Amino acid sequence: MSEIYDIGYRHYDGPRLGRGYATRALALHSLRGVFGLGRPARSKIMPFSLATIMLIPAIVNIALMALIQRSEIAYSAYAVIMQAVVAVFLAAQAPTVVAPDLRYRVLPLYLSRPVAIVEYVGAKVAAMTASLFLLVAVPLTLMYAGELVIDLPGPPATGEYAGAMTMTLVLALLLSSFGLALASFTPRRGLGVASVITVYLLSFAAVPVVYGTLASTGNEAQAAWAWLMNPFWLVDSVQSWVFGTPPHSIEGDYPNGPASAVILVVLICVGLGALALRYRKAASR
Amino acid sequence: MHILATEGLTKRFPTVTAVDQLSVTVGSGVTGLVGANGAGKSTLIKILLGLLPPSGGTARVLDLDVTAQGAEIRRLVGYMPEHECLPPDVSATELVVHLAQMSGLPRTAARERAADVLRHVGLAEERYRPVGGYSTGMKQRVKLAQALVHDPKLIFLDEPTNGLDPRGRDEMLTLVRRIGTEFGISVLVTSHLLGELERICDHVIVIDAGRLLRSSAIGEFTQATQTVTVEVDEGLDALTARLTSDGQTVSPQGRMLVVKVLGPETYDAIRDAAVDLDLCLIRLEQGRHRIEDVFREESTSV
Repeated sequence: MSEIYDIGYRHYDGPRLGRGYATRALALHSLRGVFGLGRPARSKIMPFSLATIMLIPAIVNIALMALIQRSEIAYSAYAVIMQAVVAVFLAAQAPTVVAPDLRYRVLPLYLSRPVAIVEYVGAKVAAMTASLFLLVAVPLTLMYAGELVIDLPGPPATGEYAGAMTMTLVLALLLSSFGLALASFTPRRGLGVASVITVYLLSFAAVPVVYGTLASTGNEAQAAWAWLMNPFWLVDSVQSWVFGTPPHSIEGDYPNGPASAVILVVLICVGLGALALRYRKAASR
Repeated sequence: MHILATEGLTKRFPTVTAVDQLSVTVGSGVTGLVGANGAGKSTLIKILLGLLPPSGGTARVLDLDVTAQGAEIRRLVGYMPEHECLPPDVSATELVVHLAQMSGLPRTAARERAADVLRHVGLAEERYRPVGGYSTGMKQRVKLAQALVHDPKLIFLDEPTNGLDPRGRDEMLTLVRRIGTEFGISVLVTSHLLGELERICDHVIVIDAGRLLRSSAIGEFTQATQTVTVEVDEGLDALTARLTSDGQTVSPQGRMLVVKVLGPETYDAIRDAAVDLDLCLIRLEQGRHRIEDVFREESTSV
């Protein structure tokens, strides 16, 4: 047992900043937590290896641009192509954002400070959204920088890049609201990982089953709606409507742009609502 | 000025009334909140932090209303929960710096305060290791540090000695006393072990089933009645007879004699009796009236 040093107590009379500052500090702390910064080395392995995998296609594409003067991967397609990696990242890291505070009952330490529960949840969603955004936006930006440096024939695809960045942010918000809600309902970390990945796999596997069944019976129009069951294709369908990019579904078109946008907004609200309910219960404990 | 004041404070849950018409005032210094498990101590603290809305009555902390100005109160108050509340994979420094920022301290100030406060609670090099590997005593210190880090005006300590061994308990109590005196931070400390608080509190509030049993300065508790314990080698019966005939109130307790102190003449009577009877006097000890006894009396009379 260590000794108590007698060095006299000093009072603090410096500034005390407001709740906005505290919320930002919490978001930054959580974002650091997602990437395992300030945590033991083993917490860094998963996020950084996944982030590296995300970079590989961008680097390959830059090499291709340099060699054959043509981009093989569209900016708008990047998230859809890499969706498995993004989903694994979400499943692996969403529980680290919300689960420890619930499982180890750290929440009272936050609630006994000025921040309200809404700001707490907001900061957590912001942190997860930022981390997913970075995961996709960094390779996109790298690719864009590569395109500018290599100077391909024709004008650079700045519009498509900007659109892809915007939709990446929307995708990150959708994924994090659902991922955090699922993880907060299962505070044990392993269960959280399993539940997020299960929901993603269901949404991924359901698409070809539903699409195939409907398409083979000749209902092409209804079959197109199957794409919206997966978050990545749902966001891509909105992107295709808003920014006029070609659909990146495996086959066929997306049904209806505005309808996709409505579904997207509703789903984000459902995810955030579930989170709010979960935390209202946790706070009253 | 009162540090906190409640007026007819009531908190009803669907199945139980946790706080029942509680009216107390607390001044600065160290105040003990005593009650059995489930007496309503933790509920009272949550109300005072503005986290639980009261069902009735009012409460003011640092002259701020708990229902309307909860966030203001939480800016000026520190809270150490009773239960375990530390994430295992973060170091004590990282956690305390972060929680200081959550209380509104800028980053550099948060770092300085965290280092200061961790030293005050007695955590040395181990503060850079993840909390998961800490002993219960070290975890309690981290919990105390996070409650102190933003230099609050008032600190709520919910069962700070929970789960500590006798030495850890002693160190924690000494620390709590220092917070109240040297640090100049008012303390509201709960415990179900009454004797523990006797050592460190200026004022004690006793509650049971959410109701106030007693609230008074520590002196009034211990001065209620005074006794002196006398131990002699042999001749206990002769001494009892002699003192009784001198008009003293005597009750034998095993090999010792407890004499009620009526005034300075009681000590003279004991001395004279021992000399006259030629007894071998082993011990003459001031019997402090313990809070336990008051609590027992109060609860039986209620």
